[in-house]
Amino acid sequence: MNGPEQWLNDWRKAGALSLSRHDPAKEGITVSAFLPAAALISSAEKLGQAGYTLLDISALEALEGLVVTYHFDSFKEPGRLALRVLVSPRKPALPSLYSVFQGAEWHEREAADFFGLVFENNPNLIPLLLPDDLPGPPPLRKKNGALSPISKLGLLGQAEIIDPGFGAACGLGE
Amino acid sequence: MTGCFNFINPLAVTEEPGTTAGDFYTRNFEKKAVPGRIILNLGPQHPSTHGVLRILCEMDGEYIVRCEPVLGYLHRMHEKMGEVKTPWQFIPNMGRVDYLHPLAWTWAFVGACERLAGIEIPERAEYLRVISCELNRISSHLLWWGAFVMDLGGVTPILYAFEEREKINDILQIITGSRLTMSSFRFGGVCTDADERFKSLAKEFIPYLRERLKMYKGLVTDNIILRRRLEGIGPMDADICRRYGATGPILRAAGLARDTRKDFPYSVYHKFDFPVPAGPANDCFGRYLVRLSEIEASLMIVEQALASLPEGSHIMEKAPKANWKLPAGESYMAVEGARGQVAVHVVSDGGPKPYRVKLRAPGFSNLSLFAEAAAGTLLADAIAILGSLDLVIPEVDR
Amino acid sequence: MDLSLAIFVQIIVAVLLIIGLMVGNAVVMVYMERKVAGFIQRRPGPYEVGPWGTLQAVCDSMKLLAKQVFLPGNVDFILYYLAPILAFLPVLLLFLPVPFGPILTPLHINEGIVLILAFAGLGVLSNLLAGWSSNNKYSLLGAGRAVAQTVAYEIPMILALLAVVLQSGSMDLAKIVGQQGQYPWQWNIALQPLAFFIYLVSLVGETNRAPFDLPEAESELTAGFHTEYSGMGFALFFLSEYANMLLVSFVCASFFLGGYKGPFLDGIWWTFIKAYLIMFFIVWIRWTFPRVRFDQLLNINWKWLLPLGLLNLWLTAVLVKFLV
Repeated sequence: MNGPEQWLNDWRKAGALSLSRHDPAKEGITVSAFLPAAALISSAEKLGQAGYTLLDISALEALEGLVVTYHFDSFKEPGRLALRVLVSPRKPALPSLYSVFQGAEWHEREAADFFGLVFENNPNLIPLLLPDDLPGPPPLRKKNGALSPISKLGLLGQAEIIDPGFGAACGLGE
Repeated sequence: MTGCFNFINPLAVTEEPGTTAGDFYTRNFEKKAVPGRIILNLGPQHPSTHGVLRILCEMDGEYIVRCEPVLGYLHRMHEKMGEVKTPWQFIPNMGRVDYLHPLAWTWAFVGACERLAGIEIPERAEYLRVISCELNRISSHLLWWGAFVMDLGGVTPILYAFEEREKINDILQIITGSRLTMSSFRFGGVCTDADERFKSLAKEFIPYLRERLKMYKGLVTDNIILRRRLEGIGPMDADICRRYGATGPILRAAGLARDTRKDFPYSVYHKFDFPVPAGPANDCFGRYLVRLSEIEASLMIVEQALASLPEGSHIMEKAPKANWKLPAGESYMAVEGARGQVAVHVVSDGGPKPYRVKLRAPGFSNLSLFAEAAAGTLLADAIAILGSLDLVIPEVDR
Repeated sequence: MDLSLAIFVQIIVAVLLIIGLMVGNAVVMVYMERKVAGFIQRRPGPYEVGPWGTLQAVCDSMKLLAKQVFLPGNVDFILYYLAPILAFLPVLLLFLPVPFGPILTPLHINEGIVLILAFAGLGVLSNLLAGWSSNNKYSLLGAGRAVAQTVAYEIPMILALLAVVLQSGSMDLAKIVGQQGQYPWQWNIALQPLAFFIYLVSLVGETNRAPFDLPEAESELTAGFHTEYSGMGFALFFLSEYANMLLVSFVCASFFLGGYKGPFLDGIWWTFIKAYLIMFFIVWIRWTFPRVRFDQLLNINWKWLLPLGLLNLWLTAVLVKFLV
C-alpha cells in the first residue's frame, strides 16, 4: 500500500521537476508533482496498478505555459493525488494516457477542445464538446495580459523544487 | 403534385455529387466501419437518450458491433462562464449544470471556495445543506427510476415517481425558493432558514416515501419482465470502473462501497449513521437496486438530521458579499452527487474572478464506458445499459 | 344471377357498415385507451374537450386529417403510399364472417376462420412495405421485427383456434357460436382453457401491442415501421391497429366466450361487451408492463406457446376421436 510519501519518493525517482505537499482540508489533494512529459505514462501506470483511477484532466494556462493537471483517486484508500505537466503553449503536445486509463480519451479530447492541446496516441482526437469547425483560438486560452504565474496560483503548495531550471522558470529559485 | 394533399416532391431532395451523407462525426465513424453494416444514428433526438445525447452505432442486424457517443449538443461552456463571472455570480450556474441534483453541484463549488478562503459555516447551515441535498438526491433517483422503466417500455411508473417528486419539490421550495435549478447555498451558509412548516412537511414525507417504496417493489422491482430485461445485462466490474473513472452507483454496484460522504467526510456527514449500499450484482439490475437502496439511506440521513437540527443562524455573520474576492490558491472539492463524484476544481490568482473553474462531471466518466459496455449487445440491451448509467446530458456536456 | 347480385349488395352494405364500425371503434378506443391509461397512471386523462373529454378523439382525428402528409427524401413513394392503404383494406374483409348477433352475420362463409387468418396475414405485408419504403433505418429494423413477430405468433394462434375447430367440427364462426350455450360454463373457454390462454397471449403479439410492441418500440426504434408517416398515413395505420384489435377480440369472443350468447338475453350487445372487455384487457396490460426483449418474445413463442398449442391440439384430437 503506497502512502502519499511513497508516491513522492516514486516521483522523485521518475525525475519529477518539483514535488509538493498540500493541505487536504483546504486544497482537497494530498500530494502533487510536476513531471516531465516523458515520465507521465510510467507514473500513471504505477498509479493504475495500485488501484488508482483518473478523475479528470484539469488544464489551465499560466504565465509559464499550459499546466495540465491529472487528478487521481484511489479505489482502495482515500487520498487524492495530482500529477502535473507543464507544456509549452507554442507546441502543446504531450502523451496520451489512453493506454493506461481508457477513460482518459474523453478527458483529453475535452482538454484538446478547450486549450488546443495535442495528445499523442489518443485513438480518436476529434472535437468532443465543441463543434468541429469552431473558428478562433481555443476558448479557455487566456490573453497575454491576463496570465498569472504558477507560484501565485498555489499549484505548488509546499513545494520542494528539484529541477533548478523549472524553479527558475517559476520564479522560485532553489 | 401540389394541391389539396400538399405532397412534397421526392425529386426535389437531391444530394450534391461527391458528398456523402452524414456530418463530420458520421464520416469519421464510418471510416472504421465494415461495409454492408448499418450505421445507426441514435439521437440527438431520440426518446431514450434523455435529452440530446447522440450515439453512433455500427449495427449487425439488431446487434451493436461498435458505438461511439457524440457529445456537445447541450454544451454551454460553464467553465468559461466561471472565468468571466465573480464567484457570487457563478453560483446559479451550478444549478443549471445538473438540473436533477443541482444542490450537489452548488455545494461542490461553494464548498471549494469556502475551503480556499478558510470559511467555517454555522452548524445549522451544514445541517440544512445536508437535508436539502439528500432530499434532492431522492428526487433525482426517483426521476431516474421512472425514466429507466420508461426506457424499458413501462410508461406508468414515471408518473408515480413524479407524484413523490412534486412533494419533494414542495418541501425544498420552502428553503431553496425554486423547484428545479436550486442554488440556495451561499458562501457562509444557506440563503433561507428552515421554518416549522418545512420541518413538519419533511417529517411527514419520510414514512410516506417508505410506504411507497414498498409499493414500488411489488409493482415494478419484482416484475418478471423487468427482471429478465435487467439481470445479467451490461456487467461492469471494478476494473472497467477504474479504467474509465466511473463513480457513484455504478461503482457501488460493482461491489466497491466507495462514497465520498464516507471516504472524504465533508460537512457533517460523519455525524450520521447511514449505509453505503454495494453489490450484490454489477449488472443493470444491481445498479437499479443500489439506487433504490440509496433512496432509503438518504431518508435515514434526513431523518437523523431533522431530529438533531441545531439552533443557530443559517448563515454566518459577515458572510462574503457580492464583491468578495477569492484568495489566491487552488482547491478541489468533491461531493457525492446522485450520479457519482461531483467535483469542482477552483484556481484563483486573488483577482475578482476565479482564474480557472474545472467541473468534474460524474456522468461524463460514466458515459465514457458505455462504448465498451454496449459493444456486442442487442439494441434493446444497449438502451437498458444507457438508462442504468443515469445520465443527465447537461451535466455531461456542461 | 339474382342470388349473386343479392350477395354483392349484401357485401357492399356490410363493408360500408364495417367501415363505420372501424371508425367508430377507433374513436371509442382512443378515448378508452387514454382514459384507462390516465386512471392507471393516477391522472384524469383527457377532460378538456367536451363532457369528460369525450370529444378528444374527434379532435385527434381532425388533427390527423388536416395534417400534412410528409414525404421524406429518397423514399420509394409508390410503396410508401401503398403501405397504409394495404394495412387498412384487408381489415374490411376480415369482419365479414364474424357473427355479431343471432341473425346479424355480414356474410355466411363456411370457412370463415380461414378467410380471417388468410387476410390477416396481409397486414404484415403492409408493415414490411412501410418499413422498407420509408428510407429510414428505424423503420427497416421495425419492419424486420414486425415480420418475424407476426409470422411467429400466427402459428400458436392458429393452433389454438384449430383445437376449437376440431372440437366443434366447423370452421364457420356462426356455427361455433351456435354450439355454445348461454352461460359461461357452457362456453368453449370451459372446455379449452389452455387454447384460450394461448390465444390471449398470441393475440397481444399478433396485434403488436405492449408488452409485445417490438415493431414500434418507441424507446428503441422511435416509432418503428411508421416512424416517417404523418397525417392520414399514420391515421390509417392507427385505424387498422385498432381494427385488428377489435377483430381478434371478436374472434376470441366467438370462439371462446360464446359470442352473442349470454345470460338473460342473447344479442349483439353480448358480442360487443365481451369484445370490449378483451380490448380493455389489452389496454390494461399495455400500461402495466415493461416491454420484453426481442429474443425473449420469440422464445416465449417458439419454446412455450407452440409446444403447448401442439399438445393442446393433440389432446383435443384424441378426446374428439374417442369421446365424441
